[in-house]
Amino acid sequence: MQDKDSKQLSGEMIQVVSFSLGNEEYGVDIAQVQEINRMVQITHVPRAPHFMEGVINLRGQLIPIIDLRARFDMPRVEHTKNTRIVVTEIGSKRVGMVVDAVSEVLRVPVEQVEEAPEMITGVETEYIRGVGKLGDRLIIMLDLQRVISASEKRELETLDAAAPEATAVS
Amino acid sequence: MSEEFFDREEFVQYFKDETDELLQTVDSSLLQLEKYVDADDIDAEIVNELFRAMHTIKGSAGMLGFTEVQELAHRLESVFDLLRKDRMPLSQQSIDLLFEGCDILTALIRALTGEAIVPEGVDGYMERLESFSSLYETAAAIVAGGAERHEDQGEERLDATTEEIAAFEADVARLLAGSESGKLPAELLATAADAPQPADGAAHPTHQARQEQRRNLSQTIRVDIERLDALLSLVGELVINRTRISDIAATLARSLSDFKDTPACGVIEPLTKDLADSAGLLARTTNEIQEGIMKVRMVPIGQVFERFPRMVRDLSKARKKEVRLEIRGAETDLDKTVVDEIGEPLMHLIRNCVDHGIEEAEERLGLGKPEVGTIRLNAYHEGNQIIIEVGDDGRGINLARVREKGIRQGLVSESDKLTDREIMELIFQPGFSTAEKVTDISGRGVGMDVVKKNIARLKGIFDIDSTEGVGTIFTIKLPLTLAIIQALLVRVGGELYSIPLDSVIESQRVEMSEVRTVHGNEVITLRGAVVPLLRIGEFFGLGTTRDPEKVMIVIVNMQGRQVGIVVDSFQGEQEIVIKPLSDVIGRISGISGATILGNGSISLIIDVHSLVGDAYASGRVARAEYSAV
Repeated sequence: MQDKDSKQLSGEMIQVVSFSLGNEEYGVDIAQVQEINRMVQITHVPRAPHFMEGVINLRGQLIPIIDLRARFDMPRVEHTKNTRIVVTEIGSKRVGMVVDAVSEVLRVPVEQVEEAPEMITGVETEYIRGVGKLGDRLIIMLDLQRVISASEKRELETLDAAAPEATAVS
Repeated sequence: MSEEFFDREEFVQYFKDETDELLQTVDSSLLQLEKYVDADDIDAEIVNELFRAMHTIKGSAGMLGFTEVQELAHRLESVFDLLRKDRMPLSQQSIDLLFEGCDILTALIRALTGEAIVPEGVDGYMERLESFSSLYETAAAIVAGGAERHEDQGEERLDATTEEIAAFEADVARLLAGSESGKLPAELLATAADAPQPADGAAHPTHQARQEQRRNLSQTIRVDIERLDALLSLVGELVINRTRISDIAATLARSLSDFKDTPACGVIEPLTKDLADSAGLLARTTNEIQEGIMKVRMVPIGQVFERFPRMVRDLSKARKKEVRLEIRGAETDLDKTVVDEIGEPLMHLIRNCVDHGIEEAEERLGLGKPEVGTIRLNAYHEGNQIIIEVGDDGRGINLARVREKGIRQGLVSESDKLTDREIMELIFQPGFSTAEKVTDISGRGVGMDVVKKNIARLKGIFDIDSTEGVGTIFTIKLPLTLAIIQALLVRVGGELYSIPLDSVIESQRVEMSEVRTVHGNEVITLRGAVVPLLRIGEFFGLGTTRDPEKVMIVIVNMQGRQVGIVVDSFQGEQEIVIKPLSDVIGRISGISGATILGNGSISLIIDVHSLVGDAYASGRVARAEYSAV
């Protein structure tokens, strides 16, 4: 990775963990990634937003799992042996994300990261921090905070619609 | 002191904690002292306690530079000093003045820690207090001075003191004119010699008992609740692992026969036995640690009760009613977090009793009831629960009036046939109030619904029992702790769910032939009562299929209503540690959290309250009350 252009190394670099969803390549800041796990049994949580896959037990801790495909309105696929759970930590929140496969850790020069052009991908631009160019590869850099917080917002809307005041019973 | 060595914030917090406790003591001591009003002889120990408390507040406030608090505490201390030196008779006026001072002091301290705004009229109060106590200081000086002079020249003493007394009387007159309500009647100056002694000696702890109490206090330490929470959470992990190790030991013991007659058997067999023994020991120790940490978190509910005598006193005065508060079971322990949350609901209930329950004295006499109304506050343990009752001997709930009000507020319609129970439940509706006019005590339309919500949040059950003309009893049932509970494990659509055992009445297998439908909703008849069924798998959208022959039902109780939750199978009872679902998922109606089981798998915990509430609201469950008609 750090071979082709030595001038790039002198500039500021960011390290990203790259993974794939369909034909696209995504990246998240390595500082936000806690660990990468193989698929484990996920406990389904009923009445959660559709992209909440459920919760897993990670060494005694409950970690909520987001299905990124569902989050980005991509068609669901069967889990394969390459499917991974990327456990991220944003603030004090820990969230796992199901991705098709994890490829590698990349060093991307900061100046090669551009603002996301509108609708370059199927992913709504609100979740994207930018697009990193590495040779002819395009890495879509995710804004995890948005991926999570937007989920809270939507989830609340879902809740409001689905659950009228419990005390309205008589 | 430099910033580095003096964390002021921490000191202020400590000051606040300490004074909170002291002010509570002052409040309850003043209430005790009030019983001695106009009595000949007051319990010196109570006054001493008040004096010491005020002295400590004064000292701490001075150290932190809270001059206003220091000043006020100092003046109150002087009054207590006069009292304990018998230089001032105890009158209702002085007690009222002291109560007022205690309130202002509390408000001042709250203001310092940013919890409230600075109260008004502090200076005015201090002036009043100052002139009040200087009056008696002068009187004391005259008496002392008079006695001195008596020894040398008899004649002159008479003249001098007469003059001084004249000046003193002028002082009194000026003060009387100055105070708006004539707070200092002349007879205040003379001790009422023939006042009756306080009736019940039991209310005043003996000297020895107090000293004992103080000794016990010195053996305690203050611990941040967060540290205890952290410990409890660790114990939770330990409990999970204990269960897991026990599971492994049991599995190993079961599969031992597979190794029979193999060379490995000689090694594995004794090891298996050792593991089982260790697992047993670990289980026992873990249980003890768990119990221990639970006990550490337990505090007597009396901490909450303490503030109510004062509240009832003030409220009943404001409403011109005669009310007596009886407290029982103040020593009953429950979890600190629950204690912190239960104060507010109890306050609402007691207010309700004073405002709506207890009648005015004349009305009571007319009804042949004792003139003084009684509010009973009672707490006791029952199994894994604590029961708190707030009862009054007042007018009770007028169901007809509640119904009428409910119709007027559009909560029910004229034609609705309601059971007494359903009418009673109207009281829990947001905005419901039968008070004809808004008072500062209650009747603002907040109250019972808030109480019910708060109690539901604590996983508690709230109930009302009322007989018109006889009184009302509010009953609150709370779990002792919120962290570890007994649960019934059930399987639904391939997942394990936990149902808290405290809401489970029984579990049953029922033949489909016994299941009827009412308006398309399934019900069963259980001992004469119609119990609606809730197919939780379908409700949760788990894609479960119906068994054509039978249903497995867990009967749960919600506010006196029974609902049968249909599950796939029962998986036994287990102690579980409640873990909240991540806030990324947010609150999900019907699920209160999750737990990790011994084998590492996750079981979601069903929140019976919101589940059943939602099921009713969405019309998924037959309304049993109607279907029975």
